[in-house]
Amino acid sequence: MFALESFFVDVLLMIFSHEEINAFLRNPQNTATIIGTLIAISGALLGTFLLLRGMSLTSDAISHTVLLGIVVAFMIMTSLFNLEPDTSSPWLIIGAALAGVATVVLTELIYRSGLVKQDAALGLAFPLLFAISIILISRFVEDVHIDEDAVMVGEIGVAWANTNSHCIENCQTITITADSDLAETSRQCTNCRELNISPRDDGAEFREVCSNCGTYSPGQAWQAGLLEEEPVQVFFPKSITVTVVMAIITILFVILFYKELKLASFDEALAKALGLRPGVLHYALMILVSLVAVGAFDAVGSILVIAFFIIPPAAAYLLTDRLSLMLIFSAIIGSLGAFFGYDLARGTFLVFFEISDLLAWLNNTFALDLVEEWDSSISASMVMMIFVFFLVSWIFSPKYGLISTFLRRTGQKSQFDDQVVLAHIYNHRDMPDAGQELAADTLHEHFSWSNAKMGRILARLKALNVIREVDNMVELTEKGEDRVQQFRQTQLASELA
Amino acid sequence: MFRLSDADKRVWLLIGTITIIGILFIPFSRIFLDVSYNYTLRTVALGGAILGIVSGVLGCFAVLRHESLMGDALSHAALPGVAIAFLLVGREPGALLIGAGIASWIGVQFIRALLNTTRIKQDTAMGIVLAAWFAAGIVLLAYIQSRSDASQAGLDTFIFGQAAAIVAEDVQLISTVGFVAFLVLALFWKEFKLVTFDVEFAGANGFRVGFINILLSTLIVVAIVLGLQLAGVILMVGMLIAPGIAARQWTHKLDQMVILSAVFGAFAGGTGAILSAVDADVPTGPMIIVVAFAIVTISIAFAPGRGLAWSLLRRRGDRKRFAAQQTLRDLYKYAISHGGASYPVPASFIEGVGGANVKTGLAQLEYHGHIKADGNVWCLTASGARLAEQDARNQQLWDVYREFSDELDIPLIAEDRQRDIHEMLPQAALEKLDHKLKEVLA
Repeated sequence: MFALESFFVDVLLMIFSHEEINAFLRNPQNTATIIGTLIAISGALLGTFLLLRGMSLTSDAISHTVLLGIVVAFMIMTSLFNLEPDTSSPWLIIGAALAGVATVVLTELIYRSGLVKQDAALGLAFPLLFAISIILISRFVEDVHIDEDAVMVGEIGVAWANTNSHCIENCQTITITADSDLAETSRQCTNCRELNISPRDDGAEFREVCSNCGTYSPGQAWQAGLLEEEPVQVFFPKSITVTVVMAIITILFVILFYKELKLASFDEALAKALGLRPGVLHYALMILVSLVAVGAFDAVGSILVIAFFIIPPAAAYLLTDRLSLMLIFSAIIGSLGAFFGYDLARGTFLVFFEISDLLAWLNNTFALDLVEEWDSSISASMVMMIFVFFLVSWIFSPKYGLISTFLRRTGQKSQFDDQVVLAHIYNHRDMPDAGQELAADTLHEHFSWSNAKMGRILARLKALNVIREVDNMVELTEKGEDRVQQFRQTQLASELA
Repeated sequence: MFRLSDADKRVWLLIGTITIIGILFIPFSRIFLDVSYNYTLRTVALGGAILGIVSGVLGCFAVLRHESLMGDALSHAALPGVAIAFLLVGREPGALLIGAGIASWIGVQFIRALLNTTRIKQDTAMGIVLAAWFAAGIVLLAYIQSRSDASQAGLDTFIFGQAAAIVAEDVQLISTVGFVAFLVLALFWKEFKLVTFDVEFAGANGFRVGFINILLSTLIVVAIVLGLQLAGVILMVGMLIAPGIAARQWTHKLDQMVILSAVFGAFAGGTGAILSAVDADVPTGPMIIVVAFAIVTISIAFAPGRGLAWSLLRRRGDRKRFAAQQTLRDLYKYAISHGGASYPVPASFIEGVGGANVKTGLAQLEYHGHIKADGNVWCLTASGARLAEQDARNQQLWDVYREFSDELDIPLIAEDRQRDIHEMLPQAALEKLDHKLKEVLA
């Protein structure tokens, strides 16, 4: 991981100076936006396939049970190997990925018994695994870094502060051993506590202890005052590395297996028949979902991460029918949400609207006592922005949006009304009862419509120049005649078919 | 007056047994697990049991309507309601519950609106509401926390649940609200049952399906909101559906399922709370879920007629019977074609033609006294010969049935050659078949 990070830093240094990089990354907004965007891209790409396979809520289950993997791996490492891992340790990530797969396997086992429906199987499996991890945490793991707040919302706002330093100039690693000049030694009594005697006692035995021995990285050496010249360092947030790796793996997976994923999502039987092993692909997808869930765990917590999996693909699903476009749209929607989410957390909604204004208005109008400064959770605000973009595509989508659906329906309705009226005139003209049936002022009675509605429709038809009114009698124009013939033919054709 | 079938008796026996075990668990835990029943534990255990009943009963409908994960979505969706209620009126348990209920309820309606107007599937719609509502709740909570005067202690108990914080008033509240929910359930029992199992039929018969759906989902929201304080947002779904899933394994009747589910829920809630008191570090909500899952596991494994153990036994029995039948046919065929039913059949022959199951088949036949070994040969006994003859005749009748059932105008039945055709057809039809068989043989 560290080597990879050095590589990123080297690449960046080719383009920017180290001051620029440090200043950029030390800005919480930049770091949080980068991390949020990367999570959003990986989540959106994988989430698209989850949505198409009807497994959206599997991401919910996995993101919860990832905690069990982390806890168990943590317990194994502390008790068996005496290590103190943090959440970016590869062993914890492997544990989390295994737990994710275990959830899917457990769900399938319950489901395959044939006694429980699929949704119920999922609803049984993940609360159990989550309950076990909570019991393990509170019973056996004392002071873990896994606190409850971090589980819920993550710490994307402080991700900039948790860095690895990469030295690029004046890099001097200093090692102090017990017999070097710099060593600070002191004497420590080895048997005082055991014998309950004071160090001044005759029987006391001593040994030399070096208090500052060890190896100092350039940064540490400078802080300890061991170097004369400050080393030039780049401070690189650890979370960025994790999320970059995650995003690269996801993008590569989707690009390399695009055809296979597409086929397996839309027609699993055909994929199997063509020898593509949809089962293997299924588990690969689940492992990736687990990896993204654990990679995002630090930044956005285990519940909010599912928003990045579910909402952007759902929004894209309303915008397009093409898989490739759906992947691109959902990645863009997720990234935009992450980008504007930071502003929302700091009180600005989409550049032009200030939340404190809304709060002030609420206070004035309803005589409430709300604090007017707005400072909120960054990760949750990112999710809110993604949801706003979902609402926008739900309302305005050209094909499946509420507005276009409404317009299409009213269009169909008026078209149907027109046809009914035209057909009525067509059927009754030249008939003996034409005088009764086609009188303009009583026409509405034959349809059980209100006079106003009839008037609207007649006005529209006249404007289209398909009917005309002569002596209070409606009749078809030539154009109207053509129109009736036309839809009669299409209707006949469809009935014959 | 009442005549109970065996299946009904079994369910009532089970309900009685679980109740007795649950009651006996109290002295057991006192003596063997060294649990001391202080005020807190009494309240929590009682609250857990009552919550178990409420969520167990209402959870049945969520399970049957394939909306198990609705519980998950709605428990998360309650959070913004809690936060807004706190902002408006402060930490009033009743107000927080109402806020939670309203937020979840809006969540349900949003899901329905998405399903009605777009091609988004139910699971995705629930995921959207879950994530977006929860994020809104977190945004509001973070805003509340950033206020200097915030006395927001107790709000995050809604997320993880904190059973120890339950007091007697909470239990009263839960009981009252739960009682009202049950009254509504009793009033609309027939409608709920119909909508759960056959929506189209209900609609065609003039029931107001939309209204009944909203009422039922409102009741489920009530169960979730009541449970949040004990189990927390994440575990609530398990609390809601586990008793129902377990109960489903034991019975096919809705009323029995609901009662059984209530008993399971009460058992899980009560014993889970007591078990978590054994060690101070074990949280209550997760322990209840573990107990509930244990009940589900036992039910799935051992439920009569349906459970895994049951179908395993049945499959083994079927395999043995099939092997015996096959072996008997082979023996009979050989014996008949060599002179008579009692003609000895060399063991090497039958093992050669019989395939993998021949050992099982021979052992079964010998056990039932249909064949006996005589050195290196097998002989059919009198009963074996009779059985084989019957079987051969049965197969012949089936053959005739297959070929001539149309011609002879015989009622249509599923062709199941493992069964005796005499049990499946009326006498007149059998006589026709018999006659035809004689004709064919002649």
